[in-house]
Parts: sequence; C-alpha cells; structure tokens
Amino acid sequence: MTSMTPELNPKSSKAKARSPFQDSLRTFRKSKLAVIGTIIVVFFILLAIFGPLIAPQGINEQNFKLKLQSPSSEFWFGTDVFGRDIFSRVVLGSRLSLMVGFASVAISIIVGSILGILAGYYGRWVDTIISRFFDILLAFPSILLAIAIVTALGPSLFNALLAIAIVNVPNFGRLIRSKVLSIKEEEFITAAKAIGMKDSRILFTHVLPNSMTPIIVQGTLAIATAIIEAAALGFLGLGAQAPAPEWGKMLSDARVYLVNAPWTMIFPGLAIMLTVLGFNLMGDGLRDAFDPKMKN
Amino acid sequence: MNKRKSLTFVLLLVLVLSTILAACGSKKEEGGKGSGGDAKEKTLVYGRGADSVKLDPSAVTDGESLGVTKNIMETLINFGEGSTELVPGLAEKWETSKDGLTYTFELQKGVKFHDGSDFNAEAVVKNFDRWMNGNAESNPYFQSMFGGFKGEKNAVIKEVKADGDDQVVMTLNHAQAPFLKNLAMTPFAIASPTAFEKDAKGFEKNPVGTGPFKFVEWKRNDAITLEKNKDYWQKGLPKVDKLIFRSIPDNSARLNALTSGDIDIADGINPSDAASIEGNADLQLFKRPSLNVGYLGLTVTRKPFDDKKVRQAVNHAIDKKAIVEAFFEGQAEVAKNAMPPVIQGFNDEITDYEYDPEKAKKLLKESNYDGKEIELWAMPVPRPYMPDGQKIAEAIQKNLEDIGMKSKIVNYEWGTYLEKASKGEADAFLLGWTGDNGDADNFLYTLLDEDNIGSNNYTYFKNDKTHKILKQAQIEVDEDKRAALYKEAQEILHEEAPWVPLAYSTPLLAGNKNIKGFNPHPTGSDRFDTVEVE
Repeated sequence: MTSMTPELNPKSSKAKARSPFQDSLRTFRKSKLAVIGTIIVVFFILLAIFGPLIAPQGINEQNFKLKLQSPSSEFWFGTDVFGRDIFSRVVLGSRLSLMVGFASVAISIIVGSILGILAGYYGRWVDTIISRFFDILLAFPSILLAIAIVTALGPSLFNALLAIAIVNVPNFGRLIRSKVLSIKEEEFITAAKAIGMKDSRILFTHVLPNSMTPIIVQGTLAIATAIIEAAALGFLGLGAQAPAPEWGKMLSDARVYLVNAPWTMIFPGLAIMLTVLGFNLMGDGLRDAFDPKMKN
Repeated sequence: MNKRKSLTFVLLLVLVLSTILAACGSKKEEGGKGSGGDAKEKTLVYGRGADSVKLDPSAVTDGESLGVTKNIMETLINFGEGSTELVPGLAEKWETSKDGLTYTFELQKGVKFHDGSDFNAEAVVKNFDRWMNGNAESNPYFQSMFGGFKGEKNAVIKEVKADGDDQVVMTLNHAQAPFLKNLAMTPFAIASPTAFEKDAKGFEKNPVGTGPFKFVEWKRNDAITLEKNKDYWQKGLPKVDKLIFRSIPDNSARLNALTSGDIDIADGINPSDAASIEGNADLQLFKRPSLNVGYLGLTVTRKPFDDKKVRQAVNHAIDKKAIVEAFFEGQAEVAKNAMPPVIQGFNDEITDYEYDPEKAKKLLKESNYDGKEIELWAMPVPRPYMPDGQKIAEAIQKNLEDIGMKSKIVNYEWGTYLEKASKGEADAFLLGWTGDNGDADNFLYTLLDEDNIGSNNYTYFKNDKTHKILKQAQIEVDEDKRAALYKEAQEILHEEAPWVPLAYSTPLLAGNKNIKGFNPHPTGSDRFDTVEVE
C-alpha cells in the first residue's frame, strides 16, 4: 500500500504496471456511493467558488414587503422574514460552511500531525505528555468542548473554526502516532538512520509521506463532522454572527416560522444534510479504497 | 473458565438489576410529586421568557423579578384589576393633607407575615427605613421614584412614623404628584422585618411577605415555586394551591409546553402565533393592555452618540414601520415618544423622524462620526415590549449599514446585559420599559432624567431643561399643567434624540381553556390569587 514497498503486495503483481494508487482509484471508482458522494462534494465546491455568479441577490438585501414568500419562480427557495432570497443565502452560505470544514480540518491535521509524529517517533516522556494531552481533550464530548472554547474566545465564525480545529486535533494526532510507531520499525527507516540522516529529514521525507493515506481518509470524514459542528455552533448563536448566511444560523432564525413558513428551515437544513452526506460517502469510499484490510 | 463465566454472569446480573432499580427509583420520585399532599391540589404553572434576577422587589427593576414578588408581598395601595386606578391594599384607607406634604395611612388589621410575625405600623416604618437608608446600588428603583435617600437634597420622603399600631404618617420634603401611585408599585411592597433583619443578604433568595402565596424554592433558570398562604387575610383567596413560575427562554418552546400541558399560561407569545392560538379550541389568547415602549437606546456618553446629529441620523435611518409590521405583526403601534399614548400628557403633536436614509446620510456627514464600527446590543430573551430582539437588531444593522454606519450585534446573558448596559457600556442597545404605575413620571423621569443615571437611565442622557421640567411636574398637582409640562419635555427629548422609540406593543399571552379569572395587568406584573384552574 505504500509506494516504497510495492513488491510486498501480491495482488498488484498480477496486473502489470499498475501502481497501488491506481489500484485504489479503481476500487473507489467502482463504488457507486463513493462516486455520488464525490459528485455532491464537487458540486458544493463549485457552488462555493462561483456562488456570487449564481446567486441572484446578495446575502443581506432586506425587503420587508417580500417577507416570508413561499418558493416561486422568482424566489426558488422562498424568502425569510427579512424578505431576503433564501436561495441566494444558501448558495453563498456554502462558502462559509466549506471554508470552516476545510480550514478547521487543515489546522487539526497540521497540529495533530506534528504532535503525533513527535509522540510516535521520540516516544518516552514526549509521548507521555502529548498522549495525555490528547486523552484530556478526548475526555470531553467534542461539541461541549467546542462550546466551552467559543464561550471563552467570544462568539464568531473564526473562533468557531478554531474551536472545531482544536477539538479534532487529538483524533489526527493519535492516528499519526500509531502509524509512526509502526513505520519507524521498518527497515528503510533503519537504513536512513544508518546512513546518518537527520531526524527532521527522516520525519518529513520518510515517515510523514508514508502516514498520509489514513489522514486523507480521516480528513474527509472529519470535514463532514466539522461542517455539522459549525452549523451546531451557529444554531446556538456561537458561530457565525448576523447577517452571515451560515446554514446553522439560518436554521435557528427560521425556528419560529416552522409552522407558517417551513421553507425557511427546509433549504438550509437540506444543504447541511447534503454536504455532510457527500463528504461521508466520499470518505467511506476512500477508506474502502485505501485500507488494505478492506480489499478483496 | 467456569469461574470467569459465573463472574461475568454475576456482573451482568448486577448491571441489569441496577438498571431496574434505577428505573423504579425515578418512578417512585415522580409518583411522590404528583400525589404529594391533597389529591385535589391545584397547581398553576406560568411559563415566562426569563428567570428572575432577585426576589427582593426593592432591589430590582426587572419585570420577571417583580412579577413573582407581587404574589408574595403586598403594597400599601394596590392597582385595580386591569388598570392603574388606586384601590386599598395593606392600607385600608388614606388621607392627604391640604399642602400635599402629609399622608396618613390606616392599615388593615389582623394581617400576618408568612413567618408568623404581625403586620403593623412598626413593620411599615422598618421597611421604609430600610429603603431610605439604602443606596443607588441596593435600591435603584427607590431612588428613581422618591428622588433620593435619607438626608439627600432631592429626597421626597422626610420621615415615616408609626402612630399607634395601625396608623402610619408619612411626611414629605416637598409635594410629589404621583406619590400614591408610586407607593402602589410592586417594588415598594412590605416585607417581613423579622426576615430581612435576620438575614439581610439572604432575603433576596428567601422573600417573606403578607401576600397570597408563600415562597417555597427557587431553581435558577428553571422554576420558582410558591404555595398557597392558608392564612391569607382576604378570605377565599388564593384559589390555587401552588403557583410555579417556569423559565422557558424560547417563545416557540414555551408555546409547545403550553400545548403539551406542561404549563398553564404562557407569557411572550410570538405575534405570528396569535392566529393559530385563536383557532385552537383548547387554548385562549390573552392581550395585555399596552403600557410599554420598546426602544433603541443610544448611549450619549459614548462615541459616536455623544453627537446629537448622529443620534438624529440614526432616528431617520431606521425603518420603524417595516420593523413593527414584520416582527410585531400588527400587535404594536409605531412609537414616536418615550412614553405610550395611553398615558396622560402624551404629546401627539410631535412629528416623528420619518424614515429617510438620504437625510440620515446627510446628517451623518455633517456630524463628527468617524466611520468606526459600533456595537449594537440585542437582548437575548423575548420581552413583552420586543418579541424578538435578535431579529430586530439584524434589521437595524442593515438600516445603519445603508447610511454608512457599520455595526456588530452583541449578545449577553440577560442579567449581564442589563448590568453592563446600566453601567453605560453599550454603544447602542435594544431595551424597553413597561410602566409600573401608569404615570408619565414613570417613563420620562425614570428613564431619561439625570437623577436616574446608573439605575434606569441607561443612555446616560442629561439635560438641564428636561431635568427642571420633570422635577417641576413631580410637584405640580394640577393635572392639566402637569400634562403640559410633560408635553414640553417630550419635545426636547424628541429633538435631543437619546432614543429611537420603536414600538408600543400589546403583549400577547396564551392559556389553557380551563384557566378562569386571569386578567393580564398593564404593568406586566400579575396577581394570581383570583386565578382558577378548572
């Protein structure tokens, strides 16, 4: 499964000149759900990039004469109590949700990787300190910890992003640590040490690239969780602040009109559901494709 | 192997048994609650939007605290049902001297406090001593209504003396027209001196009075439980055995609790839900007579609102009509003055600042506004004068953005919000006021006079002219002359614009069909002694 040891994989030796990566890609493509997930994810990424071109309105064009209009050809998703076009807000909101998803996971991967590598490679007291730190973070229910952090920092989208990143650090850290523990016993590491390579070089050119696969899989799944957590914080008023079109906040604002104007709630809710579903399906597909244990 | 198996079995058995026992335990507790005392015990649960701050009425100004204490402690004079007309309370009758400086009160006989001590003239004197020796921090409302504390220049009350057991004589430094109305306000309810002398600090958590209900317990942010005072001096009252005030901050959740039968009366109904309640055969809709104003306060001691032009610009910028239509759904009138039109002295000749963003921009340009982002504070809980502060703030935010003033919406927990705002820490803040005695003084002087900076004047507005007029109006006994003074004050307040008055709302409540005898009082504090549950 790693590029350094292709000959160890008996399956790949049958097909000529097919790398393990291509092999995985094939498995991934064969899975219908994974492809659907990827399509959804790509769709939302495009929506986020080209949002301003697609959305007929800005995020905060209030017009009380048009408040709570049901979906029509003019307002595809209806309007909210401020008379704002919900379609535009959902489209533009994709930016916030994806941004929080990607950025927070990127931060957790970076921080988690560094801590995980240090813990796994050096072991002993470094490992003890870092691992106990992870244990402490993991002892809290994640959303509760995120709420606590945001309460301390003050409610804003950026602080919510930070909180979600912090909450996810131990997941990545532990993953990398266990991976490093097994890699550092490999012969090529011993070889690198034998020729006098510096620790930092070993870590970043040999150990890290070889632990990337589970990170990518875990990362995709973590984006889904991060988006849900951001929406939850937004719903509680601890994430994005008015007038940002954050989906969770839109849901919370729409609660009052659940009976009279259900569309104010349905569309942001659907958007959250779809993106999360997309990332989850894609993540599951990636895991099936890259995890050697899952291969048939 | 066998041993291990049996150990696992025993452990499993313990686990299952403990689950069953735990289930039994909670069941038992539940049963105890319901069948506790009398089988016919009647409980009334009132759901409201926020918890009380303190249960010592003399130490607070917020409606949720006063709404509870009104049922525990009583005032010398009461307001009539559904109005602010004065009727006897703990004082059977009263007389005023010709010069308006001496008031003699004849007290009810045979009344006892919940702790068994006697209610008499001495108890009344001790209560007044407690208030008069307080300070702005401990007794903010006393300062607002009676000019100041013992020995201060502006203090209205000179001394309060007992004449025998059943007579109290109050001497004033100078006449005060709304004196009796002020005495009828919930904050000036008579507490048991034995209780507050024994534990001055703990009194706010354990109030003792003469009222129809006795205090039982207070679970913060959850519920306050009161029980029937069996020895209540008015025979036949109260009609329910238990009165519970439950805090449910979310309007929709509160309405759900009402439909599911968890509560009997729900305060703070969303105007948008009114129609569905009227269409529901199991519920009834109550309208509280309007005696309030919801406003956006502009703290005049803070930049940029220290400049009158900026304040006027904001007044022109906000589309009040749209806000009132969207968020009050017809259950409110657009406000233009700092007091509602039902009050005598309302100045209807004032032309309100019209919604005109262009004019606002021009004014802002002429002002010394530096383009800095301001903080716009929005109340976190629904209030009778403003059902959804967060959304109204969002609308205002947009209005301000349109004239080039950036703002950030800021939230605090309700108690903190009031405390910080009263210290003048907000740039612009949403707030409102429900009149406590139906007098213009209780709006204009209480909310916008320099004497009340630090208590109820959250904008820190100070103006020599209005101060003089408002003080004069307090002494003026002639009703027409008094009204004229208040009209003049409103003109100056309109020009100086420390507020953007937003709405005079008609607060909505809903109750189960089986609630009888509930008449929401305009002051926002209700007495539940005559309410029945069928």
